[in-house]
Amino acid sequence: MADPREVRLEDLPGPKSREELEDMKVPYEEYCRKIFDVGNEFIKPGALEGIRWLSCTMYIFTPHSVANLGELGAEIIKIEFPRVADPMRHTSPFNECYFYPLHDTRPRSGTGIGVLNANVNEYYISLDYHRKEAQEVLYKLVKMSDGLTECYRPGTFDRWKQSYRYLQEINPRFIYVWGGGFGYGPKAFGGSYDILGQAHAGLASITGFHEDFGGHPVKHSNWCIDWYSGTQITVAVLAALYWRRKTGLGTMIEFSQVQAATRCLGYGVPLYGRFGVVRQRWGNWDTQLCVHGIIICGKSDYPDEKNPQLRNEARYVMVSAFNDPDFKELCTVIKRMDLYEKYKTHKERVRAEAQVEIYREIEKWAADKSRSEVVRILTEAGILAMPVKNDKEVYESEHFRQRGTVRWMDDPMLGDVVVQSTYSTGLFSETPRRKFWDFRPVGADNMKIYHELLGYPISTIQEWYEKGII
Amino acid sequence: MCDIIWCKKCNTVNYLDPYCFWNWEGKVKCAECDEVYYIHMIQGHMYKGPEPRPGEKPDILPLYADKPYDGYTNYPPGVEGKTRPYNCTPRHIYLGKADWRKFSIRNRPMRAWPQPPSTGIAGSAGFYWDIKKLTPEVWEEYQEKIKRGEVRDW
Amino acid sequence: MAREPQEIEIKSRADTLKPRPWPVTPPPSREEVAKVYAKRKAEDFGAWCEENLWFQKAFEKPEALQGVRVLDVGLWRIGHKFCTSLLAELGAEVIVVEPPEGDPMRKLTPFGREEYMLKDQKSGEPCGLEFIHEMRNKYSITLNLDTPEGQKLYKGLANRADIIVEEYPPGYMDERGIGYRQLSKINPRLIYCWIGELGQWGPEKDRVSKHGQWMLDPFGQAACSFIHNTGYPDDFMPRGSGGDPTRSGVWLADYVAGEQAAVNILAALYYREEKSGKGQFIEVTAAEALMDILDFDISWYGFNESIKARTGSWDPNLNQYAWNPCKDGYMMIGGQTDRLWYRIGMCIERDLPQFGRLIHEDPFLKEVAARNALQALVKTYTLTAMWLRDINRVEAEEKLLEYEIAAGPLLYIDEVCEFPHFKYRPWVYTIEDEHYGTILYSTSTTAFQMRTPGRVKWLGRPLGYDNGEIYQKYLGIGPRMQEVLKEKGVL
Repeated sequence: MADPREVRLEDLPGPKSREELEDMKVPYEEYCRKIFDVGNEFIKPGALEGIRWLSCTMYIFTPHSVANLGELGAEIIKIEFPRVADPMRHTSPFNECYFYPLHDTRPRSGTGIGVLNANVNEYYISLDYHRKEAQEVLYKLVKMSDGLTECYRPGTFDRWKQSYRYLQEINPRFIYVWGGGFGYGPKAFGGSYDILGQAHAGLASITGFHEDFGGHPVKHSNWCIDWYSGTQITVAVLAALYWRRKTGLGTMIEFSQVQAATRCLGYGVPLYGRFGVVRQRWGNWDTQLCVHGIIICGKSDYPDEKNPQLRNEARYVMVSAFNDPDFKELCTVIKRMDLYEKYKTHKERVRAEAQVEIYREIEKWAADKSRSEVVRILTEAGILAMPVKNDKEVYESEHFRQRGTVRWMDDPMLGDVVVQSTYSTGLFSETPRRKFWDFRPVGADNMKIYHELLGYPISTIQEWYEKGII
Repeated sequence: MCDIIWCKKCNTVNYLDPYCFWNWEGKVKCAECDEVYYIHMIQGHMYKGPEPRPGEKPDILPLYADKPYDGYTNYPPGVEGKTRPYNCTPRHIYLGKADWRKFSIRNRPMRAWPQPPSTGIAGSAGFYWDIKKLTPEVWEEYQEKIKRGEVRDW
Repeated sequence: MAREPQEIEIKSRADTLKPRPWPVTPPPSREEVAKVYAKRKAEDFGAWCEENLWFQKAFEKPEALQGVRVLDVGLWRIGHKFCTSLLAELGAEVIVVEPPEGDPMRKLTPFGREEYMLKDQKSGEPCGLEFIHEMRNKYSITLNLDTPEGQKLYKGLANRADIIVEEYPPGYMDERGIGYRQLSKINPRLIYCWIGELGQWGPEKDRVSKHGQWMLDPFGQAACSFIHNTGYPDDFMPRGSGGDPTRSGVWLADYVAGEQAAVNILAALYYREEKSGKGQFIEVTAAEALMDILDFDISWYGFNESIKARTGSWDPNLNQYAWNPCKDGYMMIGGQTDRLWYRIGMCIERDLPQFGRLIHEDPFLKEVAARNALQALVKTYTLTAMWLRDINRVEAEEKLLEYEIAAGPLLYIDEVCEFPHFKYRPWVYTIEDEHYGTILYSTSTTAFQMRTPGRVKWLGRPLGYDNGEIYQKYLGIGPRMQEVLKEKGVL
């Protein structure tokens, strides 16, 4: 029996060792740096190791949802049609950037940079579902996997006897995900793109400059709504995995991309529902906070650069001073105390007419200054301000380099590529996210999966390849 | 013809891009000849015009023009005196076709140019880009760059 | 949901403030939709899908994250709210810890118009719509984290929670002894997620102004180059009235951070349950989450020093893939492949033969890749707009859908709420809330699942409404003690 007079270190409150004491004492920033240990991700485990997922997907929306699982450590097998493969491989900005080759039968065709980042850490095989041999292959894979994500028109997989009502018979633990534009209903067969999502869901009607100022609705850069919707599927998938631990049952998830875009409209929907007021665009300003918007400065930061993006466009500043003392400080800096007298309360300032006046005055003040001057003056006065950055500034940013957000990677097939974010989409202290390769040529892992995993003899694989089945 | 000005003098089609000219009034010069047309566009419809205004100074040039009767030879944006330049390109060079590069911006090899076929059975590829075997001249070039100290960390 | 038609006369703004019936016209019937499935030979499958995924049956099915407890602490921003919304819709128990004055976001309302705030039917307290919309299935308690008793109570709650989602400036919680390094000693199973704009550490980490104002979105959007790439080029619209880099109309970076945080938290939960039994510290920032989904922009810079430029409503990678102005708004037409390209041509040249001629005769537009060149985009969209200016959105959509082209009108929010498909498979839905009456809201995206659909049980919560239940149940603090704490300013 333990001696009650003896005091054990473990029973006392507080740190138990020198390391712990040091840990509790270091400044918070240093503590964060240490615990996230950027740069040493690979020696730590992945959160989802042991899960195998099939990605029968195309474009960006559904592939990204599965790539999230891949970044978190799951094993993913991506299935594409032979030769032609994912249509995303043929997109490239202004037709300029390609990685080679697409496939050995077309050595001079490249894979466009548009497919970068959407299918990371995956094993790539090819399979033509139309052929009768394909069904046996898919059933074998389904028995060995935890789930599947597909994006074909509703009914297509069903015709090939691959929809959930068939697959749940052969693997009751299977999680089946369908991602597409609309889901069940009158427009079920409508194709969907990112830009359709933005237009159809009402997101475009609230982004851009106001009609009265001559503006038009504007598209969010590239395809970010595709990616944004894809991540929500991953949330549903992970919840289903959690529930499966309790009950042992898989499930089917149907996910609509356009609906995800409506989900993030904020107050727009209840405002219409209760008051019949339809929210409009409000440009670079904010409808609920003032001052909280983007202003133009007179001079660009790089007047002598060749690149027009640097020479002409590097002159916007994000300024935020909506609390009363901050607004007063801002008015002091731009030497317009009359504005402060006029709009003392936030309620006064945030009215539409007040916003128009206030921002015009701020821009008048900034009209003879360059972007960095404006940011410097405002920051020194204690107001929050930041330049609107472009890709070069993000690449060169010390902040993102230290956090490992922007880093170079030696991809096994593509060579030297910049990684954007991925690792920092979530910094974990125990199971960090990582990227070990980006995309691979079509069918790059056919031997690995068909021969080594599924056990087909090499002669069969070659025969199928020649017949175009894989 | 609205939203395009089909210049009858030289049979060139001048394209008035939809956002810029949706609600616009002023004078546009034909890309090919020097005819100046006055137009007034409201909601995309040509309310007035195109009225030739010989001798007057134009306000703007079209962004693009081509000639249907001449095999569609065209003037891309930025041709001096014919079309106005497009100022919002990602770089000062605009290629419009594949940019074959062998090295990234920090001078390390990047597989962005066509190479000989190299896959195994059924299109399988390993996890190693064997530059030395596939394109030894690029490997040599890379070694040269290292010697000259051009290979950077960023 | 349809009610009797009413006559409403609008003479002043006050007249607009009457609750609208929704839907104005009933959604299509199931027989009509069954015909749509039959046209594509998928009647059985369609019927099976509707049977198993029907929205209104959600409450009959279990919840995926039942039993998971989440503490949500944060002010001002949407990131943590969206993250916990996603978890709460799937059945987690979310307790929002607010300071005694409440989250300042409760007071935000568009253009300061207090008429647009909803008042709690019992206490008369107004609350802004942005806050109500994101406060779904969550409990609200008040707690003053600046007092020692408050911190002690918080530690008690943290010991009972699985997950904490926090969104305060870096170091705020740590200074008060309730940050991750302190809480993980009490509860090693705790999964702690911090969400912010730029980071807890680094040369440009989140900061607070001299007078204590926080950084909100769109700082996240500006820092990752999203704003730089969005907007119309100044060749299309004058700089200052459209031809500028434009921010998103919503606080997009925060939404993206919130959903990525939900993914990361659930992955950490899986790892804890399956393997380690331990929690961990997670950090998600708006700027980095949004940068992750900016396709290839930074990688493009590393390729050949190109800085992605804005192209308005056109896309530089595909043709056709844009919206252009039409008679009554804007129409989006999409089609990249050869098949769709020619079908668009066939559709448009029925009304505008010139389109067919100028586009299809042009040898430069024959190859798919060549159509992405800038001049090809200008030509194609100019001619498309020539067709669109004479036709309204509904007609254009009908004509294009005949050729199976992915096309859609640009809808305003009222049209979104009335679109037939979005009523049949509800995108928006009404809920009768005990405190705020009938509210129309955007439905949960995870609501269409066979076994554990997400759902919204209540929307909005008056400040501190659940003090009684939560403090009693989890900390054993009864009503009299709560009154004492309230006097002291702890609650």
